[in-house]
Amino acid sequence: MKRGLAALLTAIALLASGISIAAHHSFAAQYDITKPITLKGAVTRLEWANPHVYFYMDVTDAAGKPANWAVEGMAPNVLYRAGWRKDSVKVADLVTVNGYLARDGSKLVNLQSALLADGRNLFVGQQPAPKGR
Amino acid sequence: MHRILAAIVALFALATPAGAQGSATPDLSGFWINQYTPDLSTVLGKQPPFTEFGAELWRTVDTAKDPTAICLPVGPSRGFTAPFPFILVQGDKAISIMFEYQAIWRAIYLDGRAHPDDLADYPYFMGHSLGRWEGDTLVVDTQGIDERSWLDTAGHEHSARLRLTERFKKTGPDTIQWTVTYDDPIYFTRPWSIERTFTRGKPGDRVLPYTCNENNKDVEHLRPNQPNLQYQHVPEKKPGG
Repeated sequence: MKRGLAALLTAIALLASGISIAAHHSFAAQYDITKPITLKGAVTRLEWANPHVYFYMDVTDAAGKPANWAVEGMAPNVLYRAGWRKDSVKVADLVTVNGYLARDGSKLVNLQSALLADGRNLFVGQQPAPKGR
Repeated sequence: MHRILAAIVALFALATPAGAQGSATPDLSGFWINQYTPDLSTVLGKQPPFTEFGAELWRTVDTAKDPTAICLPVGPSRGFTAPFPFILVQGDKAISIMFEYQAIWRAIYLDGRAHPDDLADYPYFMGHSLGRWEGDTLVVDTQGIDERSWLDTAGHEHSARLRLTERFKKTGPDTIQWTVTYDDPIYFTRPWSIERTFTRGKPGDRVLPYTCNENNKDVEHLRPNQPNLQYQHVPEKKPGG
């Protein structure tokens, strides 16, 4: 129990740390904490790969111009241990992402929250157990 | 990858099971979970005792130049402080540590050998480690650590003269107290230490794949970032001074 608790606490600490993107490198070298952004759109692709999970989404801006954005999440191994899987999100799923913009001005954000239509916060916290289990 | 496997297999060949030892030496083997520690100074409660040189390097460190961002090996310090577990296999002649992070390993020789004479010319990113038992504590002396590795994600660096002394002590069936001492006369005025706890994983836990350059898209987006430019070095008072 103690062991499971330690692992869970580690996962929670990591997932709750907000601006941490795990051990790979510093957050601030890549993202701008002063530039939060919200994106709404449909998922187009998931890359479940090291060192960080990426997914992509089509977003239409206020002027009606569409663009494909990249969203960077945590390390896949941390997410796996928190219960998330490759099929936790599917192409065409609608998602609302809150994150921070990349400093280089590219269409890339660091994931802070990603709300799916079914209420799950994709790749944040513990994956809720599927209904009926 | 095959070379790593071959190295691990060779290490196992050197080793005999810990149970064959006959002494009361504890068995540290197992699947262990690190305490994630991206900034060692948070454990220390202050910055380490920098030399003037070390302080200036800390003040001006650019975290965009983190060696792990370009998938260079993490070094022995970060291997044990990253948010990824490791497997330790203990023999009486050698101990192997297989880190999930970067799928990298450390070999700790227990056979009484010395560090190689040419270690400074042929350093290891993970260092060259010699171990010995002091009672129930494994004491590991690591030298020849490639100076390109960092001590933590925050950007504490070290020189080629870094010497790590690690003490592994079981504090229960499922916990190891890891005390690490950083001794580097180029960066620090005196050795300094921190303690962390490794917690045993659940039965059936496994290491997961970690191939750093599989999808390392971050590197092209990194921009210079110097978070410590306001840091002001205050040298430690000398004892009695």
